[in-house]
Amino acid sequence: MTARAAARLATLDRSLPVWLLAALILVVLMVLPLGWLAWLSVAGERGPTLAHYARVFGDVPLRRAVWNTIVLAFWSGAASVAVGAPLAWLTARTDLPWARALRALTLASFVTPPFLGAFAWVMLAGPNAGLLNRTWRGLTGGEAPLVNIFTMPGLIFVVALYTFPYVYVIIANTLELVASDLEEAGAILGAGRLTVALTITLPLVAPAIASGFVLSVLQALALFGSPAILALPAGFHTITTQIWSFFQYPPKVEMAAAFSMPLLVATALLLWLQRRVLGRRGYAAVGGRGGQRRRIALGAWRYPALAGCLLVMTCSVFLPYGVLAKAAFARAWAQPLTWDNLTLANWTFTFLEYSSTRDAIVNTMELAVLTATAGAVLAALLAYVTNRRLVRGSQALGFLAVAPVVVPGVVFAVALFIAYTRPPLVLYGTLAILFVAYLTKEMPVGYAQSDATFKAIQPDLEEAGRILGAGRLRVLREITAPLARGGIIAAWCFVFIGVIRELSASIILFTPNTKVMSVVMFDLKEEGQFGAIAVLGLFMLAMTLATVAFVQRVAGRDVLGARE
Amino acid sequence: MRLRPLRTLVALAAACAVVAVPAAEPAFAQNPRVDGAKKEGKVVWYTSLALLSAEKVAKLFEAAYPGVKVEVHRTGSQRILQRVMQELQAGIKIVDVIHTSDAGHFVLLKEKKLLAAYTPAGVERFPAGFKDRDGFHYGLRATVNVIAYNTKVVPAAEAPKTWTDLLDPRWKGKLVTAHPGYSGVTATHVLALVHLLGWDYFKQLAQNRPMIVQSAADPPGVVASGERPVAANGGDYTFYQVKKKGNPVEIVYPREGVPLVVSPTAITVFAPHPSAARLFTDFTFSREVQQVLADSEGLYTGHPDVKYPADKPRLGDLKLLMTDPEELEKRNEEIKGRFVEFFGA
Amino acid sequence: MPGISLRGLVKRYGQVGAVDGLDLEVAPGELVSLLGPSGCGKTTTLRLVAGFLSPDAGEIVVGERRLSAPGAVVPPERRRMAMIFQSYALWPHMTVAQNVGYGLRVRGGLGRAEREARVREVLARVQLAGYGSRYPGELSGGQQQRVAVARALVVEPEILLLDEPLSNLDANLREEMRFEIRRLHETFAITTLYVTHDQAEAMVISDRIAVLERGRVAQLGTAHDIFERPRTRFVAEFIGRTNLIDGIAESADTIVCGTVRLRVASGGLKPGQPAALSIRPHAMALTAVMAPGALAGDIRRASYLGDAVDYEVALEGSPIVLRITTPPSAPLGPGARVGVSIPPEACVPLAGSIQ
Repeated sequence: MTARAAARLATLDRSLPVWLLAALILVVLMVLPLGWLAWLSVAGERGPTLAHYARVFGDVPLRRAVWNTIVLAFWSGAASVAVGAPLAWLTARTDLPWARALRALTLASFVTPPFLGAFAWVMLAGPNAGLLNRTWRGLTGGEAPLVNIFTMPGLIFVVALYTFPYVYVIIANTLELVASDLEEAGAILGAGRLTVALTITLPLVAPAIASGFVLSVLQALALFGSPAILALPAGFHTITTQIWSFFQYPPKVEMAAAFSMPLLVATALLLWLQRRVLGRRGYAAVGGRGGQRRRIALGAWRYPALAGCLLVMTCSVFLPYGVLAKAAFARAWAQPLTWDNLTLANWTFTFLEYSSTRDAIVNTMELAVLTATAGAVLAALLAYVTNRRLVRGSQALGFLAVAPVVVPGVVFAVALFIAYTRPPLVLYGTLAILFVAYLTKEMPVGYAQSDATFKAIQPDLEEAGRILGAGRLRVLREITAPLARGGIIAAWCFVFIGVIRELSASIILFTPNTKVMSVVMFDLKEEGQFGAIAVLGLFMLAMTLATVAFVQRVAGRDVLGARE
Repeated sequence: MRLRPLRTLVALAAACAVVAVPAAEPAFAQNPRVDGAKKEGKVVWYTSLALLSAEKVAKLFEAAYPGVKVEVHRTGSQRILQRVMQELQAGIKIVDVIHTSDAGHFVLLKEKKLLAAYTPAGVERFPAGFKDRDGFHYGLRATVNVIAYNTKVVPAAEAPKTWTDLLDPRWKGKLVTAHPGYSGVTATHVLALVHLLGWDYFKQLAQNRPMIVQSAADPPGVVASGERPVAANGGDYTFYQVKKKGNPVEIVYPREGVPLVVSPTAITVFAPHPSAARLFTDFTFSREVQQVLADSEGLYTGHPDVKYPADKPRLGDLKLLMTDPEELEKRNEEIKGRFVEFFGA
Repeated sequence: MPGISLRGLVKRYGQVGAVDGLDLEVAPGELVSLLGPSGCGKTTTLRLVAGFLSPDAGEIVVGERRLSAPGAVVPPERRRMAMIFQSYALWPHMTVAQNVGYGLRVRGGLGRAEREARVREVLARVQLAGYGSRYPGELSGGQQQRVAVARALVVEPEILLLDEPLSNLDANLREEMRFEIRRLHETFAITTLYVTHDQAEAMVISDRIAVLERGRVAQLGTAHDIFERPRTRFVAEFIGRTNLIDGIAESADTIVCGTVRLRVASGGLKPGQPAALSIRPHAMALTAVMAPGALAGDIRRASYLGDAVDYEVALEGSPIVLRITTPPSAPLGPGARVGVSIPPEACVPLAGSIQ
């Protein structure tokens, strides 16, 4: 082969196979399921019809579910900002004591599956048996409960406890980029500490706050577990629980499809809005990279501020895990933990007698490892191709990788269910359908992480290898891969954690042979098996923390993205 | 790649979860059906029997027939039907034995020709209410819906005595009910009380804002913990078990009558493990197992030789409210729909 | 030892031509600098030569091998070149010895022992003997620079490419390294392309300098040629400071600007046509007002610089304001009236002004 022909082969189209593969994956993962979803929502016996929409939105209880979802999402977002933003500022920019510990605790609430938190809060703040309410009654001698978790405010409270870390991460990372000199420039002009915070720092992080708000609203919109645990006992539905109950026999899949659409549209709209906000005043505006950062002295406010932060952590971490630990070792969770009440029976039942446990753990681990591995590899390849612009239109590939963000888990599960319970591809009943669901759902997270990794690796480093005589693949193997390793492992762990805690898609896609831990815990919850749930919850936490510890060691930084 | 800690974790998880059951003497080693069952290796059981009871039955069977595993998939009656139908739609055939507390399900499944005709050994002597006249399904166990209360919170004198007592506004915020969209016991209960008192009863009950749980096995835990002091329904066997464990729970059998729930069991026509399914079904109808259900689980059964604990009322002493499985099947949608309409979820 | 020929090279980004019909011949063993402001296409040209980019038109020939033409590009790894990057591009996960030995390992043909010997040898040459087991992160900027040099030299490339290799060093070290690079070039005599935006650097290091303007070579020549005889306004302004004077050619060797008449030693002007001259500030002298042949002017501004004084002088009878650099003896203050002596040799007509 002449050099010219070889060169032509090399440049001509490596784009083609990449694009064919990407298109195929896209069709299988997104187009086919969402296409079926859209079609089923308008499919009638005699051609297309809007009858399902009319039925769904004409129904008063269903409209109430939509309204409940809006209320839940908005206030959860607002509460997350109210908690996450000050916390981020305090730990990133002030001399607040124990900032590192607070950061670690935020990470702990970040990795807590929301449904587990909701479940713990049932034991803490059930109006009558809840430990907090009992203690309150014991102290005051009154009849009325301190808090009733089975209410909309209760639900918002619990949801916000586990979505505020999203706001925290975004704002803390932005604050790290705001150089102190920007603030000091204000201080020199005579502005007081509070004035600087309000007039300079706040506007600088405003896009991050808006972004964090949208992100936590999206989380709250898509949640299934928490409303199922807290709203259903109180007699109200959200969109997600309603979609799920459409699957009761006889299933009303068309109505589920029609009811999924508002969630899909709302999510897409919110993301578009976020892009617009960020587009005009992006992070780039923050600038001042590398500038000195001096911590602001809180003075007399130091300890009150710390107390506030600890209160948040008490609600999101200490109390829930405390009550789970108690329930795991108690015969009756609501009774005091006396010798009589102490038992290992929950553990022996869960691990030795309950036949679903073992399969669920194996399934979960298998899916988590498979999805994380496939996801990390795929995300790394995509990020590499887009960052090095190896094929034409590579930016579009990157966009596709983050596109699944707009599809909430439940909606995507309904779509997959519709698409893959029928020929030619019957995936329902296999782990494959869960794999597809998880992979798609986690791809944006994995891609974002890998993208950041490859952005940080200068192309020079690869070119230096090329010019010295190593081919593209050899450079990839010997230079790029070792440099990207930490970032790719971090992506692996993000996906892994995401899969372990996934409930909203699993609950629709599982079959008895493909149960995962979250589904088993949800099953147990429906029968009120508090002890076994607590045991599995703690086990899941241990698994997650072991993974996170592993990432921190390998990647040399903490998972929330902060530099040590 | 440094994946080793992860692999260790997987191994650990698996090790924790492995069930080590001591091997028992094979009871009927010569029986060709036992050989067939052993070759099949397992039986897949979709059951709505309360989780602890179901796992106990499974362990008993595995002890009696080492080498044949029971895969217990426990969930609510309505969920079981949903699962079976969803799986069939996707061409998945994994369930051998179906057992729910909604007799209407078996009317439907039989109609759709999904059940295999099989008469377990010894059921001839069971009462008529436990037997399908065409021989497709048989009542494995029975329970009655009752009221129960937490004795620490509610003095016996003040406890509700009848279904209509629950409508008293003083129980507002103090009740818990299971969900007919999940539980067959509860669906049967609702239909029986609709016959007795009409839908208006539930409309009024909803005014007392009961906490809504899913399984009929859940209210006992809620009452025992004191989260809600009074259960508006629930199978008496689960209350009985909770009470036996020393929880402050007392059961009330209302004077107006108690809805009887006979929970049938049947083998599917497509059972992938037919021998094991039959062996298991026969086993569950044996006097020994039926006696266990009565003794430690507090259930009623159709077996004439079973002896009941002294602290449980005889079925014959109770005024039983009967329901027609056919009607239960026909009104399934209506029962769930109106319940949601009144109670909100 | 081959030379490099760039012929009609074009590289466009969108509609913008970063390199726009560039021709350049580099003789075997010669060091040519590509000099120009940012955006002139010098780095793009270098990357075209390295094979990281493929040209839209034109060709690159090294010795007998045609390495680049539209649609036919020999990949970088088969060009037998080496390159030193602005960022040094040392691999942080490899030791100094591994970094330096990488090229030998990849190109093959040598045993392990011989490779190690060669690495030791080249490290000694760049005064880094004994640093082989360090990691790049543990070295100073200057040491990293020398590792990068060693990594490029050890493979004995046919062509050496340098992309602003000194721009990350502090001023003292930078000056030192200029001589070092020149010395290395004289030792190895590898055909070299050197990209820089620093004219002093280019002057010290290069055999010849190619000044690039908007993707083309504006002038190619030795440092002396380019400084003394800039052919275009762009080159004159870019290389050192200069005074540009626009006027009308009165005859082949005289230019008129207002009432000021200047003689041009080289001659060759087109009488009656507009013409432009470049006069270096140090090529003129300040004299007494009435000195013969001197032009009269007023000092507008005087800056004492220690080793020189920088004056701004407005010539009488014309809009011309000259910058003049003189030795620092007896500095004059603003407002002083002076004579300016402009030798005809100092007046260099720019391209377009001469026939």
